[in-house]
Amino acid sequence: MKTQKSYLLFLVCSLALMSCSKNDDNPVANNITLHFNNTFKNTTIVLGDASSSTATVNTSAEGQVHHFSELKYVISNIRLIKADGSEIPYNINDLDQGATVVDHSKPQTLDYVLSNIPVGEYGQLKFGLGVRPELNTLDEVRFPDFYAAAGANDTQMHWEWGTGYRFTKIEGFYDTDHKEMSVHTGSTVEGTNGEPDTYTQGVDAYRDITLTLPSHAIVGEHAPRITINADFDKLLSGKTNTIILGTGNAKPSTHTAANMVLFVDNLGGNGSSDLSGMFSVGSVEN
Amino acid sequence: MERVLLFLSGLLLLLSCNREKVIEPIPYDNPEIPLNIPDGFPSLNAFVGENKPTKYGVELGEKLFHEKKLSGNNTISCASCHKQSSAFADNNVQAIGIYGRVGLRNTPPLQNLAFMKFFNWDGNILQLEKQPLVPIITHEEMNSSILEVIGKIRDDYEYKDLFKKAFGDENVTADGIYQSIAQYEYTLISANSKYDRIRRNEGDTFTESEARGYQVFQQKCMSCHSTELFTDQRFRNVGFPVNPSTEEAGRARVTGIPADLMSFRVPSLRNAEYTAPYGSFGQFPTLKSVLDYFDNGVLDADNLDPILKDNGNRIPLTEQEKEDIISFIKTLSDSTFVGK
Repeated sequence: MKTQKSYLLFLVCSLALMSCSKNDDNPVANNITLHFNNTFKNTTIVLGDASSSTATVNTSAEGQVHHFSELKYVISNIRLIKADGSEIPYNINDLDQGATVVDHSKPQTLDYVLSNIPVGEYGQLKFGLGVRPELNTLDEVRFPDFYAAAGANDTQMHWEWGTGYRFTKIEGFYDTDHKEMSVHTGSTVEGTNGEPDTYTQGVDAYRDITLTLPSHAIVGEHAPRITINADFDKLLSGKTNTIILGTGNAKPSTHTAANMVLFVDNLGGNGSSDLSGMFSVGSVEN
Repeated sequence: MERVLLFLSGLLLLLSCNREKVIEPIPYDNPEIPLNIPDGFPSLNAFVGENKPTKYGVELGEKLFHEKKLSGNNTISCASCHKQSSAFADNNVQAIGIYGRVGLRNTPPLQNLAFMKFFNWDGNILQLEKQPLVPIITHEEMNSSILEVIGKIRDDYEYKDLFKKAFGDENVTADGIYQSIAQYEYTLISANSKYDRIRRNEGDTFTESEARGYQVFQQKCMSCHSTELFTDQRFRNVGFPVNPSTEEAGRARVTGIPADLMSFRVPSLRNAEYTAPYGSFGQFPTLKSVLDYFDNGVLDADNLDPILKDNGNRIPLTEQEKEDIISFIKTLSDSTFVGK
């Protein structure tokens, strides 16, 4: 009996060792790269100043030509959903480790690497356009890195008066005479929208995005790369709103909560019938 | 077995010791400063109860209020724009901050804030503790950051001492900065004007002009400048000339509601004598010019205040009435509050 027990123990130990050595070949975790491809319809955007001959010019559903000189947005609250439905949150309460400013003028910001993602097959991706209200306080003490990245002189994603982050910042020109357009979005909400017990005032411009991957992203030996298309044609010609730019909305008050929600719903969805806004998945490379 | 138990209980004892270390007694007597609520004033903003002024909290807040290190180049303090002699406002058309940069709006006076439900012209701030960060980081005001501020004052003996006395810990913290400045501001209560003394039957009396002014005021001004704060704290579009900045939308900047476009919080008239010019971006140099404007007729707007709409977009006033109203408004001046 005693020898049998020792034998069993030996067996268990060697099994454990074997599984350990296996883990060395097959990692428990790997990276996923999110690549953001900012487009007008299917064309990757080229930025340019008012008289640029190389900038990508888009035409809205209402026939307005426009192009951008600046294009930035904040991605946070990233969650990966496995094929079995389980959800892997990625530093969702830590803006330093889990949020980024995508700046179209800086190619290195178009790739955001999610590190240490558990092996498995992932079928869905969720993230936020903007920052959830509870983290949107410009708290430099808590998140010094993200605060600095967002606030840098050439980034300007602080919305000082609202003590929150700008969620999107788009500068550009519209109509054939290149009038200036400037769309900034951000939240002013106090409490939670739709909860009368807590809500007091303001607009919640954060939008939660859900994207189903066309094929599974398989995290294992390889680190998948997911290309996310952000189609800024939707800014004026969205699923929710068709917008004509003019003196009332192209520059005045788009810095403010007035009129802003129309743009927010086009870019990030309306939070109910449209959960993807301008975003879609272009490809998954394993 | 017994040894194991002994070891375990020893470990538990150590753990419990560790825990007790966390709780530190506050070594200084730091009494609360009671806010004397003037008769007839509305109730306190609920957030005051979560950050009650204390002796050293207020002392620290007052020091920080006058601290130029809050600005990027050490030139601007809160008091640079919020001057006591102007009822903690200033006399510029629009606020002037670091490097002479001009802000969007006219500096609001800081008085009776403990009783206000909304702060700033557009009411974007509901809790006073959340306000100090705004000027610190704003490009046109102090152009700094809270970590930059903490870095500049954290080793200063006086600040360490005051933080220890106010909050029980000498470490300079962001929350301590916000809370102490708010505590100081909560104590800025103005209720000792001639009007107040008459109301309290302390022997003063209105002059004839002041008394006539009070009558006209009650008929033509008090719908909005109501309560003992002389504001109903509502947001109204009264058809004043519009700020040309694309950043300005009034209350709609916060709410996103078109009906709030170019609506602003009704300003208190207390100490108005000291706070010229008037309007959200200093459109009016004098009280007389405000009254002339109302008399001549205001700008029309879809969301123009119904009281004005119902009266042909104006408040008709005779020259005598204007003179009398101004006499009355000057009885709301609190010379002790402004240190004169």
